[in-house]
Amino acid sequence: MQTPTALEHLIEALRCLPGVGPKSAQRMAYHLLQRDRKGAESLALGLHNALEKIHHCQQCNNFSETETCPLCASGKRDPQLLCVVEMPTDLLMLEQTQTYTGMYFVLMGRLSPLDGVGPKEINLDRLLKRAQDGEVQEVILATNYTVEGEATAHYVGELLKARGLKVSRIARGLPMGGEIEHVDVGTLAQAMLERNAMR
Amino acid sequence: MYHFVSMKIPISRQDQQPVYVLHTYPYLETSLVVELFTRNFGRVATIAKGARRPRSAMRGMLQSFQPLVATWSGKSELRTLHEIEWQGGLHVLKGQALICGFYLNELMLRLLPREDPHEALFEHYQQALQALTGEEAQSIVLRRYEIRLLQELGYALSLTQEAGSGDDIDAGALYSFVPEYGAVKASPQSANGSASNGSGLQNKSGIQLRGKTLLDMAQDDYTDTQTLQQSKQLMRTLINHHLGDKPLHTRQLLIDLQQL
Repeated sequence: MQTPTALEHLIEALRCLPGVGPKSAQRMAYHLLQRDRKGAESLALGLHNALEKIHHCQQCNNFSETETCPLCASGKRDPQLLCVVEMPTDLLMLEQTQTYTGMYFVLMGRLSPLDGVGPKEINLDRLLKRAQDGEVQEVILATNYTVEGEATAHYVGELLKARGLKVSRIARGLPMGGEIEHVDVGTLAQAMLERNAMR
Repeated sequence: MYHFVSMKIPISRQDQQPVYVLHTYPYLETSLVVELFTRNFGRVATIAKGARRPRSAMRGMLQSFQPLVATWSGKSELRTLHEIEWQGGLHVLKGQALICGFYLNELMLRLLPREDPHEALFEHYQQALQALTGEEAQSIVLRRYEIRLLQELGYALSLTQEAGSGDDIDAGALYSFVPEYGAVKASPQSANGSASNGSGLQNKSGIQLRGKTLLDMAQDDYTDTQTLQQSKQLMRTLINHHLGDKPLHTRQLLIDLQQL
């Protein structure tokens, strides 16, 4: 049986999703066309709308429907603090803590030398410009504590320090309610190496 | 008609092997492909199932530059990683040392064939990581490792004898080092810097350096700044020769960062 070309096209298009191979793509396409045409329509509309409306915020580089995202435009945030995170989900997590009142910059990635992800791919030039707006006093590096996140923090930190900015890195160690007996050895080793003086 | 040959395939489970993680990349929805450098089996590619789930026990463990012990099994090119544990001891690579570490890993991924055991190289790798956390100049650590890597991989890299004749290298003489051949004495003309009249192709394609540089490298002595410079040039040429056309990402990254 010949598969119609529009269907073929749809299957091919679905494969752009992460973790979706030819079999899953086919299953999704058949499901959408046969069982859930309404859902398919709203999916198509949703994708179309999102592509049309969502851009990067010119200040923090996060996804935004407006030129400057609501958080940057609110005027309620401390413009002297700039927190650098890898992904929008990291920003959301930090917002949940309700401990940070400054601005953000979202890299949309991290330096990953072995995958060929360099400074261009993570918008370092835009970050440097953003951090030197004259108002930012301290840049807080909240990239992941993976080797890639550490490398990113190091280079971003060096570049910003060379431009006269105060740079700090979020701390790491035992989790809340962490019991030494059950914590992983790597975390414990780091916590020991980076211990703080009692204040 | 089929005959089932009852050939017992040995159970290829490897328990508690000392390893380092060279690189990981996402695989399917929640898994990771983990490139391991193992002491007894060389470079082994494994898949860590579910390692990208938020509560995965392996998740935090699969970081480069940490001494780990791993258990895997399987016969296909991608083994299944069952367990990974902290071996104790810690190399805290920071800043520039971290990039040097990435450079070592990239060299290994590009040059070391899979499943080709190099026990001595494992020791050298460990020593290099250790040294990168220490006081020694990073360039020296890298040169030392590059030499050992090429020697382990079996590329001709004699630093004490001339290629062809087998004569001892003379510290006072000038040499031309030809990839996959070795050092040959430079002709006096080219040594003086005047135009060589094409005396031997090898002089042209090789790297010009002092005999002393070669002997210093053999002795692992980099106190002479000229040795440091010339050895860098030599090793870069040799490594590029073995890498082929695709440049190293880590090198490009450093160039890009400098431009900011």
